Order: sequence, then structure tokens, then C-alpha cells
Amino acid sequence: MAKKNMRGADEVSGDVDMSPMIDCCFLLLIFFVVNATAITVAKDANIKMPSAVSSSDLKDAKGCIVVNIFNDPDKMSDEKTRKAFLEAYPKPNVWWSSGEENGGYSPDETDALTEYVSKQKEQMLARNLEEKQIRIYLRGDVNAPWARTAGAIKCAAAAGVVNIVFGTLPTK
Amino acid sequence: MARHKKIRTEEQDDPAMDISSMIDCCFLLLIYFLVATTLVSEKKLDIVIPGGESSSSTPSPLEPGSITVKNDGSIYWNSDLKVGEAFDTTAAVGTAAFTAQRHLDELVGSLKLLKDQATAVNETPIVMMSGGSKTPHQRIVDVMAALAEAGITTVGLNTSTEE
Repeated sequence: MAKKNMRGADEVSGDVDMSPMIDCCFLLLIFFVVNATAITVAKDANIKMPSAVSSSDLKDAKGCIVVNIFNDPDKMSDEKTRKAFLEAYPKPNVWWSSGEENGGYSPDETDALTEYVSKQKEQMLARNLEEKQIRIYLRGDVNAPWARTAGAIKCAAAAGVVNIVFGTLPTK
Repeated sequence: MARHKKIRTEEQDDPAMDISSMIDCCFLLLIYFLVATTLVSEKKLDIVIPGGESSSSTPSPLEPGSITVKNDGSIYWNSDLKVGEAFDTTAAVGTAAFTAQRHLDELVGSLKLLKDQATAVNETPIVMMSGGSKTPHQRIVDVMAALAEAGITTVGLNTSTEE
């Protein structure tokens, strides 16, 4: 990549040698590409994340089964958020959604959520992930009631996932 | 940046490739990933539900600690000691009042004591947490943060929510 042009000593040239800069650029590019893909879980913009005083970095998103837990749209203080949520999930009474777009789950659809989690688990086991690496990643809204979180945990436990990760934001 | 093509009049036999467009692309990607990585700031709190692994048949000599989070967000340790006030929804994120409410120092102290007692007899500290059906998620996360601060990662969650 970075071959220097061999030129005669008496040749006058106003060109800047770009090759070291390109080398650096590639290095930085690869660094950020790796970083960006390593810590990515599917995010839902309809959730206001809670803060925690002591939390650790999510080093590896592998094995994370994302479950979003929503607040009651009637209790959303912000009209814009409410509208966006109802547009994204037109189904009535949506409590949870998975990382994939499928319209979300209502409390009557716990079986579907359990099935989703166990299917994800099976897929992860098929990809040679260890059982203890498989975690349920709960992205709960700040004001989501505990009944919803507990319901999601119950579904995960029914699917055989006992490791729970609570998604948070650091407190400034 | 690198958009100046060399204009040469006479025929030349130097087969140099024009790499300026590639550098443009690279920079664009570089900036994209720079921005994308700084946006990712979600953190995590790990917990494990006990009972998955087979435990010894002898009962633990320690009383398990219990945390109860009420519907209004107030937190009780061993069902009588109030360690956290009701959830204040008026405090905006980033304010000092909001940050102060996230610290549950009394609870962390009690949990550390429980953990010390458990380590003294070579046991894993057992903590049970139950919440009201309407308890805001933020309060649950506050309790989880206190548990993480005290170094306890195995927590029993009571998922049968009563009013």
C-alpha cells in the first residue's frame, strides 16, 4: 500500500506523499468498524432509558436477546412520543417488543414472546454460543410498570433464559 | 480535499492510479463510524436468577435479605426499614435532584453488610426483590444498581406482582 516513489535526487516535485495518511486512515477506519459492530443491540427509539449509578459497559452484544418494555401510552407525558409509539405499534395494548419488527406483544401474547425467546436461544446455541452467554437484554422505559418487566422475565424464564441484563444509561 | 486532478499536456508513461476518490470514501466511512460509535452509550446491569444450578441441601445459615419496592417507588429493606423515598417524577434527567435520587446509600450499606456476613461463612448472599405492579422501572434499576455496587449479582425476583 505505502510504497514510496523512488525518484531521482535532482527531480523537483511539489507533490505531497499521501500514502502514510491513507495508512493511518485505514487503521482508524478498521478500528471504528470493529468497535461499532461489537456493541450493537437493536434499539427502539420509543423507550426512554433509565439511569443507573453503577453500571458496566456492554462489552459484547453476542448472546443478547433484546426485549423492549414500553410504558403505557396514556401515561406518556410527551404527546410526540405517544404519537410516534402508536404509529410504530398500532396494535392495542402493546407491552413488549422484540428486537425485530413484528408489531410487538400484548399481555395476552406471552406464549408468542416465550416462543420468540426460545427460538432465539436455539439459534444462538446453533451458532456455538454457550448457554451462559445467552442473556435477555431488557430495555425498559423509565416509567414502565414492574408488572410488564416481571412478565418479560417470566417469559424468558419459561424459555430457559435465566441471565438478565438491564439496559441503562450512566448517571452524569 | 483531494480533488485536484493533475492536468498533463504531454504523453507520459507513469501508470499512477488516481486514489483521491478512494480517500474521499475512506474519510466518509471514517467519520460515519466515529459518529456511530460515540452514540452507543448504553450500559448494562447483570443479574442471575438463582435456582438454575443445583444448590446444597443444607439450608443457608443466613437469612436472605429482602427488598420491597412499592408502587410509588419507595424502597424497603427487610420490609420495615425505609431506604428509598417515593419516585420523584418531577426531577429532570441530568439535574442534581435526579442524580441524588439515584443513590441509595443506606441500601448499599445494608447489602454490603449482608455480603460481608455471607463471605465470612463462605456462602453466596441471597437477596429477594419484589415490586408492586405499578412500580416504575427506574426504581427497579436503582435497586439493581445498588446491588451491583454492593457486588451482589444473584437476585431472586418475585414476578408475582400484587397490588
